[in-house]
Amino acid sequence: MGSPRISEQLPPLLDSTKAPVAFGNRALPRLSMDLQDPRLYIRQRALAALCDLVHDPERAYETIQKDSLEILKVLLKDEDAAVRTKTTEVLYLLATHNVGREAFLRYNVVGPLSDLLDEPVDACRRNMHRALKMVAEFPAGAACIVAHNLVHNLVEKVTMESVDIRALLLGTLSCCVQVNAIPALQSNGVAILREQLASESLAIRRAAASAMVGISVPIEGKQRVCEENVLPVLVRLLSDKDPEVSASAAGTIMNTAVITRGKYQALEAGAIPPLLGLVKSDIRAVSANALRALTCLAEAPPARLDLLEHLPLLRTRLSHPEPIIQRAAETAIHVISWKP
Amino acid sequence: MTSVLQPHKGDPNGTYTFSSRPRPVQNRSKYRELVADQDDGPPNYGNIMYDRRVVRGNTYAQHILPTTCQPDPVEIQRQLEARRRTQARKRAKEHFRPRTPEPLEGRKHMNVQTELYLEELGDRVEESSVECQTDAFLDKPATPLFKPAKTGRDVTTQIEEGELFNFDMEVRPLLEVLVGKTMEQSLLEVMEEEELASLRGQQRAFLELRNAELVEVQRLEEQERRHREEKERRLRQQRDVLDRERETADKIAARAFAQQYLADLVPSVFSSLRDHGFFYDPVERDLETDFLPWLMTEVSEALEKHSAARTVLDMLIKDVAGQRLKLYQPVMD
Repeated sequence: MGSPRISEQLPPLLDSTKAPVAFGNRALPRLSMDLQDPRLYIRQRALAALCDLVHDPERAYETIQKDSLEILKVLLKDEDAAVRTKTTEVLYLLATHNVGREAFLRYNVVGPLSDLLDEPVDACRRNMHRALKMVAEFPAGAACIVAHNLVHNLVEKVTMESVDIRALLLGTLSCCVQVNAIPALQSNGVAILREQLASESLAIRRAAASAMVGISVPIEGKQRVCEENVLPVLVRLLSDKDPEVSASAAGTIMNTAVITRGKYQALEAGAIPPLLGLVKSDIRAVSANALRALTCLAEAPPARLDLLEHLPLLRTRLSHPEPIIQRAAETAIHVISWKP
Repeated sequence: MTSVLQPHKGDPNGTYTFSSRPRPVQNRSKYRELVADQDDGPPNYGNIMYDRRVVRGNTYAQHILPTTCQPDPVEIQRQLEARRRTQARKRAKEHFRPRTPEPLEGRKHMNVQTELYLEELGDRVEESSVECQTDAFLDKPATPLFKPAKTGRDVTTQIEEGELFNFDMEVRPLLEVLVGKTMEQSLLEVMEEEELASLRGQQRAFLELRNAELVEVQRLEEQERRHREEKERRLRQQRDVLDRERETADKIAARAFAQQYLADLVPSVFSSLRDHGFFYDPVERDLETDFLPWLMTEVSEALEKHSAARTVLDMLIKDVAGQRLKLYQPVMD
């Protein structure tokens, strides 16, 4: 019987792909019971409902409290691809919360998650990489990933994956490389990253450039960068339209130019004019990195001669409000005007 | 006339039923007879409407008979008094009613009609009979539909379009829910992403600082290293030069000394050679090397023979002495 007055109750959820969620604090125990059910469609529906619930931080905390992570780890190895995809999505959503990230470390979820690196289904792999990137973005997580010796596998996968997953992978790599760059170097990371620097996708370029910055921090990294002739590519990237990419390129140059070989290679590649252009930029990262790159390059006598002419430009930067840029400009001027 | 039948004793419901069988109307006289003439006919007849046993009216203020058969003496007295009072009142009324005076002696009252026209008073009632007969049934036409007379006012009502259901009004809550939920959901998503973006922004700012410090440190290290190496190289060079100079000086000194030392080398060599017997007389040497050893060997051979003979002799003596001892031993004991 219809009446024109609309009922106060919520309409019944008619989505048959989701399990109905029980009320209050029975929801999660019920769902975790469903997740262990041998019937496939019940597991799928429970996972879909869990996906929706886990957006709420309190529910995420409850899920972790009830030790559902163990169940999810088991489900990662399930035969059905839809179940695996949804499980990885739930894990990704858990990783967006801080409690989730800590729980990942406590319950050692990174191991089973990384077993899915060879997963045939694209969506599942994408979610897995998203979750991994989320974990890598905070320092303990990146250390955990490095400890699991995953960097080697990740570097291998870079060339094989499709574009969007590659961007995620490179993001993960750039975070791991900041913790410890040695494994990436050992897996021939510099060469692979150099290829990715020339990619057309902006996200890939950004991620590859930031990974390059991290990789060029240790001494072997700098030497490898010089050996692989990455510097011409970097100099070309200095004139890239995206400020992040050019900032990262300037950062890599400044790291590499610390060793003598790097200095001379950079000078050969003609790094000074673009760097001078970047010094005037408004974005703090770009301008600071460019100033420091010039500082490093100025240790070499030929560069110093060149830069002596451009001292006024650098002096304008001294009055910049940001203290970082002021300091960088001071050191640059100091180094350039140094006489032995 | 109706009659009251006894109620059925076996009535299942226990309800009161009343029924009377139909009776023809009885002949009765025009004028009422005295009550004494009438025989008592069928017992217990009467009009139910006027039957005192039937309870009429409200039942909550009834004069209910007491359950005990024994009537209350007070009640009895009250009733008696009431009856006496009514009788007294009736008598009093009778008393005051005006009556015709009594006839005088020798006279009798006679009823006389005083109207203009005399009326025959008789018992016989004048009767006239009237007949009535219905006509044979005629075919009646169908009774027309009973249309009661029209009373009151005519009123019509009609539901226009849009009166029961006004779309704009009804759709508003639906829309509110839809739009509200969508906004809520999108706000949540945006908040999540913003949170992540702000975290990443903080991280990036920190990373820039860190990179700056790192590269500064490395550069300064590098610089230090280079300077140090440069210094070391220069020092080493200097030291090399000094070393070489010293070496040459040493060499010169050594040469001078050697020359001087070797000046009287030749005569001393010859003298030491002579001391060691490198210049020798051959005959003397021959004697020394051949003759004297042969002589010594011969001498020693001879001596050996002597000593061997002596040893043999010693053995002989010892042997004999031993035999003798053995022989004479038991004699001595």
